[in-house]
Amino acid sequence: MPDDLVLELKKLIIATLKLEEVNPEDIEDDGQLFGNGLGLDSIDALELVVALEKTYGVAIPDSEVGERVFRSVNTLAQFVKEQSAISIQRSAKE
Amino acid sequence: MRYDETELRVRFNEVDSWGVVWHGHYISWFEVGRMALLGKFHLLPSDFTQMGYTAPVVDLKCVFKEPARLDEEMLIRTTILEPTKAALTFRFEVLRKSDRKLMAAGEETQVLLTLDGRMLYIIPQDLRERLQPLFDYLEEPDSSA
Repeated sequence: MPDDLVLELKKLIIATLKLEEVNPEDIEDDGQLFGNGLGLDSIDALELVVALEKTYGVAIPDSEVGERVFRSVNTLAQFVKEQSAISIQRSAKE
Repeated sequence: MRYDETELRVRFNEVDSWGVVWHGHYISWFEVGRMALLGKFHLLPSDFTQMGYTAPVVDLKCVFKEPARLDEEMLIRTTILEPTKAALTFRFEVLRKSDRKLMAAGEETQVLLTLDGRMLYIIPQDLRERLQPLFDYLEEPDSSA
């Protein structure tokens, strides 16, 4: 997993949601993505889930997991790292 | 892409003091179209509830092209876009039946929740299977367009 995962995820968020006036440096690592932070909404979450699944093969099934994962870019990066590690372990066992 | 069609006649209580249909009624006509389509596939709100889901509207837009008037017959055309995410996006057209003139067009998106309020980020397999006949039907060429 690259060390610049946080930056990569910021770029993914911007590209997926077509946030044309937002630069990666405008998004704080620990800042809220939804509500008062970056101001994303429920449809944005669905778009991000699809992009994350395509890019990293990680699945976020519902808002119960989503609320924890989408708290900030840092929590999202943590989730992607954890899930990737789990899938590597799984494929090593197979 | 196929549109499903249903008909209605403009009622007295839908016309405003300028003699044309009040804009908000077009939204309830969208609902008429949606229920007609979903009813054919046993996917009415009660069916969703039975499966353990609700599907609240989170986005709605409507463009008004021509004013409809009292007693005119309307065709409500409804389709659903192939889902790219865990949401259902309906597209509507309201046509005057006599000349098939487009009076209004709109789009509405519904997300999926469990009955305890959890929003689904992935369409569950049971619902996907129930939706498939509907999408197969809508994929057929539209002969009425």
